[in-house]
Amino acid sequence: MTEASQVDRIWDAITAHAGALGVPVSVHTLCQTAADGLPVTGVAVAMSGSFLVSELICATGPLSRQLEELQLTIGEGPTLEVLAGTGAILIEDLDAPAYQARWPLFAPQAIDIGARAMFVLPLRIGAIRGGVLALYVDRPGRLGAKDLAAAWVYSELALELLLDEQDGIVTQEGQSTSYRHSETRPEVHQATGMISVQLGISVGDAFTRLRARAFADDRPLSEVAIDVVARRIRFDHEDTR
Amino acid sequence: MNDERLAQTFVELADTLVDEFDLVEFLHILVDRCVELLDVSAAGLMLADSRGRLQVMASSSENIRLLELFQLQNDDGPCLDCYRAGEPVDHPDLATAEDRWPRFAPAAAGAGFRTVHALPMRLRAQIIGAFNLFHADPCQLDRSVTQIGQAMVDVATIGLIQERSLRRNETLIDQLQTALNSRVLLEQAKGVLAERHGINPGEAFTLLRNYARRNHHRLTQLAAAVVDGSTTAAELLSTSAAAPPD
Repeated sequence: MTEASQVDRIWDAITAHAGALGVPVSVHTLCQTAADGLPVTGVAVAMSGSFLVSELICATGPLSRQLEELQLTIGEGPTLEVLAGTGAILIEDLDAPAYQARWPLFAPQAIDIGARAMFVLPLRIGAIRGGVLALYVDRPGRLGAKDLAAAWVYSELALELLLDEQDGIVTQEGQSTSYRHSETRPEVHQATGMISVQLGISVGDAFTRLRARAFADDRPLSEVAIDVVARRIRFDHEDTR
Repeated sequence: MNDERLAQTFVELADTLVDEFDLVEFLHILVDRCVELLDVSAAGLMLADSRGRLQVMASSSENIRLLELFQLQNDDGPCLDCYRAGEPVDHPDLATAEDRWPRFAPAAAGAGFRTVHALPMRLRAQIIGAFNLFHADPCQLDRSVTQIGQAMVDVATIGLIQERSLRRNETLIDQLQTALNSRVLLEQAKGVLAERHGINPGEAFTLLRNYARRNHHRLTQLAAAVVDGSTTAAELLSTSAAAPPD
């Protein structure tokens, strides 16, 4: 149960940071908290954009912004690969021949900017690719197991905050994350698949529609999902706005 | 117990672990073989995510899947106790277990199970999940049965940290996150198929799994193809029915 309390610890740190600044909890406060709490030089969150390959949501420090923008400009790099669907990419040393060969443009330029290690984690829900959490370090080295576990927690919370921001839900300091736990029910994902067929849209859009319906009806997401799977609720093109 | 079949199973599991390894499929083979070899009625396997929340990864039947989910949703049951304590938890007669699991015990009895045996999935000091065996009759599981069950659980754990992942510089937590995400992807694919064919998610899973096996596709890749529409449901049905024996 130590891992569950790690989530609480991280969430408390994020909300405390937001509270100290007098702002709502956001992906920005999450990035800043991660940069303070992890042994890294910079943190960035990028989303899969509809027209752009990626859209930088936030970045702490000049290094992480430059590295994300560099990848966008030259069209290669770990963030783009993780956005395209690979698992996490963990780079201990960008100067290693394997990485220089893999990203002949990006790797040398990233080192020039001042990066040596990079850890890029996907924000995803099954087939839905929400974006990435990217951590940068100005010296080579692994991220320890404990810090990596914490990074995964940050990535999950980042995705939830991104979804909340999309839905217009604002989280204040002191609010618990427990209401989100229902999202792990399989019916939520089954309903997402069903809605994508009902409306002929992507699973990502279908998930947004499911959440919007739950939010509009003021019901837990899992309850609405169970109704969809039981075929008591159907999404029709008529309610598409 | 059939020793020859047991040996075959370990060979089969070891074979699955080599190239083009699909963890979700591997875990399903594992629970199916456990039911067959250990002479239990049902089996289920749960893994913990990065927050320490358990998720159902594989189950030998839909009703055991629902019973596993019931435990998680009600925060009550032997699998949770096993995971939290890191020790095996068993009960020879669930009809008399209401004191211990006030919500789970009646639900298990209602689903037709009387005996439960939960084994921890342990990797060094870390508990990463729990493996659960159920029996329809009240009984004390034989020690040799639980030992083989534990051996199979250990194989499953090895599956999670297979050498391929170490070469790719991944760690256990990355593997777990990938596995859990594959499970979510599978649920999305089940939803897509269920809607296209007017079937239930359980039937959709059978369809996916049979097709993957007959055509030597990895389950997770097939699920991704179904979700993005590159494998159509019609194709899946027709080829599944007409697949040549090999």
